[in-house]
Amino acid sequence: MANFLVWVVWVLAAFACIASALGVVSFRNPFFSALALIGNLASLAVLYLLLGGEFVAAGQVLVYGGAVMVMFLFVIAYLGDRTDEAPWAGGPSWQAVGTVLAAGAILAEVIVALALTTGGELTHEAQIARSFGSPASIGRLFLTDHLLAFEVTSIVLLVAAVGGVVLGAHARALEGDARA
Amino acid sequence: MHGPDVGWYLVLAALLFVTGALGVLVRRSPLIILLSVEIMLNGANLALIAFARRLGHEDGQVFAIAVMAIAASEVVVGLGLIVAMGRRHVELDVDKLRTLRG
Amino acid sequence: MSACAWICLVLPLASAAAITIGGTSLSRRTAGYISTITTFGSFVAAIAAFAVMLGESPGDRPHTTTSWTWLEAGRYHFGLTLLTDQLSVMMMLIVAGVGGLIVAYSLGYMDGEDEERRYFAYMSLFVFSMLLLVQSGNLLLLLAGWGMVGLSSYLLIGFHHDRPSAVAAAKKAFVMNAFGDATLALALFLLIQHTGRLDYAGVFASSPHGGAVANLIALGLLGGAVAKSAQIPLHTWLPDAMEGPTPVSALIHAATMVTAGVYLIARTHVLFENAWFVADLAAALGAATLLMAGLIALVQVDIKRVIAYSTMSQIGYMFVGAAAGAYPNGMFHLMTHAFFKALLFLAAGIAIHALTGEQDIRKMRGLGRTMPRTRLAFLVGSLALVGIPPFAGFFSKDSILAAVLDRGAFGAVLFACGIVGAFLTGVYTFRLFFTVFGETGDVNPHLHGDREGPPSMVWTVGVLAVLSVVGGFLQFAPVWTPLTTWLEPVARPFAEASSWQEALASAAAVAVGAAGIAIAYALYVARTIPVPRTLPVLQHKFYWDEAYDLLFYRPADLVARYLNRFFEQPVIVGSIGEVTQGFRVGAGEVSRVQNGLVRSYALALAAGVAVLAVVFLVSR
Repeated sequence: MANFLVWVVWVLAAFACIASALGVVSFRNPFFSALALIGNLASLAVLYLLLGGEFVAAGQVLVYGGAVMVMFLFVIAYLGDRTDEAPWAGGPSWQAVGTVLAAGAILAEVIVALALTTGGELTHEAQIARSFGSPASIGRLFLTDHLLAFEVTSIVLLVAAVGGVVLGAHARALEGDARA
Repeated sequence: MHGPDVGWYLVLAALLFVTGALGVLVRRSPLIILLSVEIMLNGANLALIAFARRLGHEDGQVFAIAVMAIAASEVVVGLGLIVAMGRRHVELDVDKLRTLRG
Repeated sequence: MSACAWICLVLPLASAAAITIGGTSLSRRTAGYISTITTFGSFVAAIAAFAVMLGESPGDRPHTTTSWTWLEAGRYHFGLTLLTDQLSVMMMLIVAGVGGLIVAYSLGYMDGEDEERRYFAYMSLFVFSMLLLVQSGNLLLLLAGWGMVGLSSYLLIGFHHDRPSAVAAAKKAFVMNAFGDATLALALFLLIQHTGRLDYAGVFASSPHGGAVANLIALGLLGGAVAKSAQIPLHTWLPDAMEGPTPVSALIHAATMVTAGVYLIARTHVLFENAWFVADLAAALGAATLLMAGLIALVQVDIKRVIAYSTMSQIGYMFVGAAAGAYPNGMFHLMTHAFFKALLFLAAGIAIHALTGEQDIRKMRGLGRTMPRTRLAFLVGSLALVGIPPFAGFFSKDSILAAVLDRGAFGAVLFACGIVGAFLTGVYTFRLFFTVFGETGDVNPHLHGDREGPPSMVWTVGVLAVLSVVGGFLQFAPVWTPLTTWLEPVARPFAEASSWQEALASAAAVAVGAAGIAIAYALYVARTIPVPRTLPVLQHKFYWDEAYDLLFYRPADLVARYLNRFFEQPVIVGSIGEVTQGFRVGAGEVSRVQNGLVRSYALALAAGVAVLAVVFLVSR
């Protein structure tokens, strides 16, 4: 019974994930694309939970959905309505065809790689403890095995924040000149 | 509990990645392109988490958190650029920005 | 001994190098002195070698000295070997001695020339090359010297390079000599193939006797000799070579280079004795040349060309002697000819110099009145050339004629040709003498004060005149034959005249020579016989030049033109345009990839990823 439920949840979440991804790519209005992305993030959080990554799922919803997507929506709102006419048009004639081919090729290769390397056998092998994916264990890893990654990531975030301020400041200075 | 094998998650991740790539290559608005890049990153994240479950230790999840942080930084910078472009009334169409033309 | 040989060889080379490197920092005079002193230095070294040799027994006289191995290829081994034996020391003395006199003469003749230094450098180069040729201990080094004398000849004939006729003459000489060089090289290839060596002793011991190969080898050697010595059929370059300065004509085209062919035959006489057909061919060519040249000389009006044809004719005599087997006689005539021919050229040079370059004998009449000493020198040379006793030519030429009588019927034919040639020699030589140095005429030469020429020119001519008088006393066959004895270990003759043959030959030759002089006197001085009309065939030098032009030059020119029009222009020149056009079009096509669209670049990235993934998958 539990297994069946898990499967149902999985199928629903997977379906939502793919549908929202296609939506992001296809909508003309960027606002709708952003909303679709939020849906994508939510379904992904469900999938993470199924995989035992509670902290990551929470982080996904809070950070990605709560901060990044909000930023996106702010910018979209600021820039106004710029609907993209004919999303698949433009560019050289071989662009669309080439894209589909390349994407399809990559997909096929990934699946083939999976099949070949794992011999079709990818089960939940490891027995996991109850603390798998808990904040405690993640935090311990961050501060012991992956300390460098932790610190570098924080520096990158700092740099990005500074960059954002700088980019915004230039724009503001210009606008100040234009107005004066 | 059981549920689908890790392989299914990986296939799903591949699909996500390819869909994102499709968006990057086809759309002309930089905003949509940035969103598509997010899709690709999420696909990668899913693969990482799936492998973490498979192998039984959380290194994959740690990596996924780092990826999320990096994605956030990249979005900051990208959006800053787009806002700057918008303020200068540069048309937000990637095809029109072809100064690198040979 | 070996030191003498090396010094003799290297001094002129050092002189040429010094003058070349010194360049304009040396004065023109200095360059001339360097050249003269080194050439006389070589002569002194040659005398030293000769003196040492005199004290040795005949068997010991050949000395070889090798400085280092030049070529080593598998089992073939060729060294930088010098051979000093009786034959080579004789040639060394002639080359260095007469060469020294002529270079000294050039001090006066070329004085004031703009490019005098270049002249003396080339002259030293020539002396070195000729000494290399005669001193070489193997055929390979001889070939090297052979080629270098050809080069020096080209450089010196074309010395006045602003004159197109001189340049053309130099090219003609070089091309014909190159043909001879090629046949000589082919002979050497055959020798290597059949004997594996090129040093004289080895080659003579193991070369084949008779048969096709021996004949081919001798034929190749003969080809080289014929080209270098201007015999039929490769003779047409010699008269044109008179475009060079007169001392060059004297040294290269009279005394030394053109006699290299005779030296070759004498040196490799064993190979010619193994191929009697080719030896007889050589003698026949010599006889034909001496007749033809004598006839042509009768009608030439350029003083140097008359002497040039005379040279051709006398070398014909030497060929007859050497090819018939009378090697000492041929070499003897080589020596005396060097003396009197150089004398004739240099005396003519004094006359030309005094008349500031006039060479047409019709415009040189009457120099006898104002230039008596030159006249005397020229007379001595002419008498020696015709072979009147006691001058040098009498002893040497007659000994050749006598020796061929020893060769049976073929020899009798050669003898007859030689006698007719002697008659012609008398006529054309004294035609020249009576016309230019006669009493009648109104020419006005520029004299140096009361001297007839600069001192360097006068004393060298004097020395040569003395040599032309006494040089013949070296050998008076069959009574007194030190030269034959000297050369015997190296070149044993197989045609030797008996005393009655000598007497007959001498008498006949002197008689016809004197008759020739008398005829010339009657034609040009006493005018008792009217001068006959010039035959066109003689005027055109038996049409050899025209024949060669038709046979070789025209077809080559046609082929070149044809190739140019149908291959070179469209294919090679045209293809340049095609290639550049192709590149331009290709680049244009390729540049379309750079369209500036970010999406296209991203697509390229994605496609690359796809390809790489396949590669990784496959390589597992």
